[in-house]
Parts: sequence; C-alpha cells; structure tokens
Amino acid sequence: MTTTNDLIACPGCDLLLKKIESVPGKKLFCPRCNTVLVHKKVHSITKVLAISISGLLVYIPAIFLPLLTLHSMGMTQSGSIFDAFLSFYHQKYYIVAVLVLITSVFFPLLNLSLLFSVSLQLRMRSYSRSLPFLFRTALHMDEWGMPDVYLIALLVSIVKINSVATIDYNIGFFCFIFLVLMTRASTSTLDPEAFWQKIEEIRLLSTFGKNDVR
Amino acid sequence: MSDKTAKQLTAMDAGFLSCHDCGKLLEAGQMIQDRAVLTCTRCNSELHFRKPHSIARVWALIITAMVLFIPANLLPIMRVDFLGTKSYSTIMDGIIYFFHEGEYGIGLIIFIASVLVPLFKMIGMVIILLSIQFKWRKGLRHKSSMFRFIEFIGRWSMLDIFVIALMSTLVSFGGFTATVAAPAATYFSTVVVCTMVAALTFDSRLLWDA
Repeated sequence: MTTTNDLIACPGCDLLLKKIESVPGKKLFCPRCNTVLVHKKVHSITKVLAISISGLLVYIPAIFLPLLTLHSMGMTQSGSIFDAFLSFYHQKYYIVAVLVLITSVFFPLLNLSLLFSVSLQLRMRSYSRSLPFLFRTALHMDEWGMPDVYLIALLVSIVKINSVATIDYNIGFFCFIFLVLMTRASTSTLDPEAFWQKIEEIRLLSTFGKNDVR
Repeated sequence: MSDKTAKQLTAMDAGFLSCHDCGKLLEAGQMIQDRAVLTCTRCNSELHFRKPHSIARVWALIITAMVLFIPANLLPIMRVDFLGTKSYSTIMDGIIYFFHEGEYGIGLIIFIASVLVPLFKMIGMVIILLSIQFKWRKGLRHKSSMFRFIEFIGRWSMLDIFVIALMSTLVSFGGFTATVAAPAATYFSTVVVCTMVAALTFDSRLLWDA
C-alpha cells in the first residue's frame, strides 16, 4: 500500500514516480522528460534568511542613489535606477514606465522582503494564515523581478556611453551590483520543497494547538 | 535515450492531483467534491489536473505577441537628438550601429536578446501547440527541454528596454544630446510580457497527454 507521501509527480510531464532520497546538492531528473525533480540544498532556510537581510540592506542605496556620473563638454549628468523609470514616465510612455518600475524597482524589493519574512517565520516556527500565500508570491517574484537583466543592460549602456563621455562610478553602482548578487544568491540557495515541507509541518502544529509544541 | 512512448502511468491516470505551485501530490478522490474549487492543503492554491484552458490562452497570447512584434521591429524604438537634429533608430539599427563601431560582443548580446529570443519563443510555442493539437508524438523530450529553455530565457528580452531607460536618463545634456524612447518601446515590451505570460500559462504536461 503506497500513500501519496511515497510518490512524486513530475511537474513537467505528470509521470508518477516513487520518491527516493537524494543527496543534498545533487539533482534528480525525470526519466521521461528530463525536468529536475529534486534538488535538495543544505540549510536553505537559514541561508535565504541571511542573504535576504543583506540584500535588503543595500536595496535603498542601490535603487535611489546615482549609478554613474557622466562628464561631457563641461556638463555633468547622473542618474539612478529610479530616475530611469521617471524618464520613461516623463516621456509619457506609461506602459513601459510601469513595466520598468515593476520589474526593476518593485519586484526585487518584494522578492527579498517576502523571502525574509517567510524564512524568519519558519525559523521562529510561527505559522500565520498568510504564510503559504506569501511564499507562493515570493516564488513568482523571482521570475518577474529582473535586476540581473538590468545589470547587463547597465554594462551595455556603459559601453555605449564610453565613446561620448567620461564616466565616474558612484556608490549606487556598487550597491546595485551587490543587490543583484544577493538576489541571484537567494535564488540559488532557495529550496522550495524544503520551505513547503517546513510550512506544512508548522501548519499542522498550529492546528493541533501550540501547547503540544516542544 | 529513445522515445519510449508506450503509455506510462501519470498522476492524473492514477487519480492524483499535483499542485502547480508547491508540487504536493493529493488524492483526488479524498478531496471534497461538492466544493466548486479544490485547494491544496499545503499552499492553498487552486488545484487542477491540468491548467484550465491552457492551449486556447497560449494561442491568444502568442498570436498577440506575433502581431505586435511587427510594429516593434519596424517602428523606431529610440530617438537621439544631437544639436537639434533628431535621428530615429529601430532595434536593428541599434544592433548594426554596434557592429559598425566594432563592439561585436555587445551587438551580439542585443541581437540575441531582442531579436532571436522573442522569435525563438514565438516559433517554439507554435511548434509545441501544433504538436499537441495534431498529436505529433515525435521528439517529446526535445520539445519539453525546448519549453524549459523558453521559460528560462523569457525575461532576458527586457534588456533593450532597460538600455533605453538608462540611456535616456544618463545621456541628456540639455540641448546638446538627448536620448528619448520612441513608439516601438511600448510594442516591444508588450511582446515580452505576452510571451512571458504565455510560458506561464502553458501546461507542459499537455505535451505528454496528447
């Protein structure tokens, strides 16, 4: 007699497979469609907590402080990530402006702060009804927040600008690089299955009453 | 490995629902059937055997993206004002500029991100949709890895939009030189959003059901 806990369905092709224990750091693939089934990571919750805190620390300087200062023909000009959104807004390209705001300013913040609050709650073993929703949203933010794409765009712009002006690199630039590194690090240390199992565990505990815990 | 396409047991065949969001496997029979919406006991998201109306929605989004891709490439995406003269450039003009300047690496990155990637996404999704509808069961493994690739590269098409955002902020020296966005920016970013939503709406398990 097998229960649902011994089985696993491939997210890519729905093939029903028997769950097998895997070594952390090693990926298991679906035999039929080659989708990654299991990719365990060590101490995922603690690492994500630490990384999201350090990401949040540099968030404000990374987005609002000037990235670069240009000098050309006696004039200077500088701008931040937020200014880039404002320039589309002032040019009346509202759709593009909103998209840039969401993908480069809003979602990276939401991603880090949701991961911070979820991993903190899991560490403190306190279940709240919104916890599953918060984590689900955090997983989606990973796709729609694009600071890494933005960083490549920044490097492309630097190459473009280099021929017309001299460039000074400001604090915002280095903070932004750090923010991108932290966002990428949070993605690569995140083990959704570990998070979900922990959420399920403390959810059951909270429904049976907190007196039985510990 | 060859295509062993003899019918293998899926979770749906066995009467199991697997959650789209957290991957938990639930027995469909156990769930209370009189409720209109089944929700996952772990993450509270709605449960379906397959994502609802996936194929119709993906067709709609891909066709929208294909239509908008035409103005996105034909209309100018950027305007550079230099000492009062305005010059418009399309996506291709920008790429050709980099190749003329000798910046082959950068030119190639932009070409891949803003021309090849959207094209690949749209053509790839059409191939996948057609193969579901006409039950072409060849190379399913390749098709599903192609889909995973489409999912992965989707966001990188925003590169050009971000470059324009940065250029228009940084390169604006009063009346001397200024860089401004042009109409194709809106079309292009809509193409990116449509293709990304299409990849999210598509249920890759349908490939194997066909």
